Amino acid sequence: MARWDIFCSVVDNYGDIGVTWRLARQLAAEQGHAVRLWVDELGAFVRLCPEASLDAQCQHWSGVEVRQWAEPFPVVEPAQVVIEAFACQLPASYIEAMTLSGTRRLWLNLEYLSAEDWVAGCHGLPSPQPGGLQKFFFFPGFVEGTGGLLREADLLTRRRAFQADAQAQQAFLQSLGVVREPGARLISLFAYENTGLAGWLDALAADPQPTQLLVPQGKILADLQTWLGEGPLAPGDHSRRGNLLIHVLPFVAQDDYDRLLWCCDLNVVRGEDSFIRAQWAGRPLLWHIYPQEEGAHWDKLEAFLAIYSADLVPEIAAAQAEFWRAWNAGEGMEAAWPALLAAWPALQRHAEQWCDQQAARSDLATALEQFYLNWLSYAA
Amino acid sequence: MKTAQEMRVNSVALIDGQPWLIQKAEFTKSGRNSAIVKMKLKNLLNGSKTETVYKADDKMEPVILERKEVNLSYISGEDYVFMDPEYNSYELRSEDLESVLPFIEEGMSDVCEAVFFEGKVISVDLPTTIVRQVVYTENAARGDTSGKVMKPAKLRNGTEIKVAEFVDIDDWIEIDTRDGSYKGRTQAPA
Repeated sequence: MARWDIFCSVVDNYGDIGVTWRLARQLAAEQGHAVRLWVDELGAFVRLCPEASLDAQCQHWSGVEVRQWAEPFPVVEPAQVVIEAFACQLPASYIEAMTLSGTRRLWLNLEYLSAEDWVAGCHGLPSPQPGGLQKFFFFPGFVEGTGGLLREADLLTRRRAFQADAQAQQAFLQSLGVVREPGARLISLFAYENTGLAGWLDALAADPQPTQLLVPQGKILADLQTWLGEGPLAPGDHSRRGNLLIHVLPFVAQDDYDRLLWCCDLNVVRGEDSFIRAQWAGRPLLWHIYPQEEGAHWDKLEAFLAIYSADLVPEIAAAQAEFWRAWNAGEGMEAAWPALLAAWPALQRHAEQWCDQQAARSDLATALEQFYLNWLSYAA
Repeated sequence: MKTAQEMRVNSVALIDGQPWLIQKAEFTKSGRNSAIVKMKLKNLLNGSKTETVYKADDKMEPVILERKEVNLSYISGEDYVFMDPEYNSYELRSEDLESVLPFIEEGMSDVCEAVFFEGKVISVDLPTTIVRQVVYTENAARGDTSGKVMKPAKLRNGTEIKVAEFVDIDDWIEIDTRDGSYKGRTQAPA
């Protein structure tokens, strides 16, 4: 067992804390490591772990020591493995302590997820630092030569058991105030603000098949509210327009969000954490990628579409790509939706195949553990 | 100190007390609004080579290098010999010229800069813009004149680059040596 320190600086939203909290739990539970998770904004952590304290300097949850990352940074013995998540800047005093300790330590920058070609060429490369500190870049990814995706060992077993159990799904949805109506498709919606929402909602309301849209609290609620023309929306609210029934849900903890994804026929997700979880749900998904300066996110979106659609026939791949592009462009959803429906059966099969394909690869926590073991043996 | 993204090819950084020549540097936007720089480095003390990655805003310590104007004298196999105005010659191996090798050819008249570390030549920089002749390219298929449609073209030394579709065999073109991109058609050098 080794001690691992994971540093998480919450920049915005829940991607930073979502990924690091999952990783910390998995390293503790499956690899048996003593994991400290340093978080600079406990408020974001409490949204994912509601039983946690907002102001405790140190608390323990799911086998992980969660520490408040505040200034001045406390004097601590640095861990054997140190992860700076998403290029966050480690405290200067911590780096100094690593330098002065005289003990070799593995320092990793856990990078953002991308399907672009260059990722495999950068994964695992060193980034030599002053004082002889050994830092490496570690990239998650979808292909050989990258660090894989976060996936707990029993995730797919749990997911398939839940999806085979109609009663469990019904009970879970009821706990969120949702009763599935006969013949209705279920769509979960977790997205950034999106001007394309109104056109899509118009199409869903006019669609012959009923839709229940499940919307956890988040940034998209303002656009939803505008479309509905109603006052502020709150968890528990329901609104019906034509064949579309909208349910506003509370922001749920990670395990419940997984169950929500597993219940739905289509999952609209955003950023990195929910994007990965939707792939493990084995259901079609729609990704709202994090918008970047100078439109850099479009290359990343197209790179993922290229590998995700590689096994699809061109017409199906095109329908899916146009749907994703419309959503990320914030326009054209009303035209893209009917084309997607025509491709629906193939996309359902493909979502499960893609999940199996990715699950055949090593997961991120296991890959990190292997990298650490290789580093140890290389040094020996 | 400079940031990693400010370090240029053929500059030298002092990393953990060792001088490293940056032979290649690729800037890439990673996630959110951060970026990384992948570098190919050569240790100037022991000749070892390595690939590294840095955050674009990581601080690096540049080494001030001596530079001198030179011209290509001749090429002999893997050896490239340059000469300064005082007729001092400097010999470099092809591996030392990796970043500029695609644009070096016999008879070129470009005024280059030899780069020295502790009195020893370590590399050569080409001008930012150079002029080269196309020795082969396919005929334009659609008669595009906008310069936006690109096609492959071969230079005298065998290097292949993308050029505008209207470029013909024997045309002279300008190339940006920082990224190897085609800049435009031009006149033959005087």
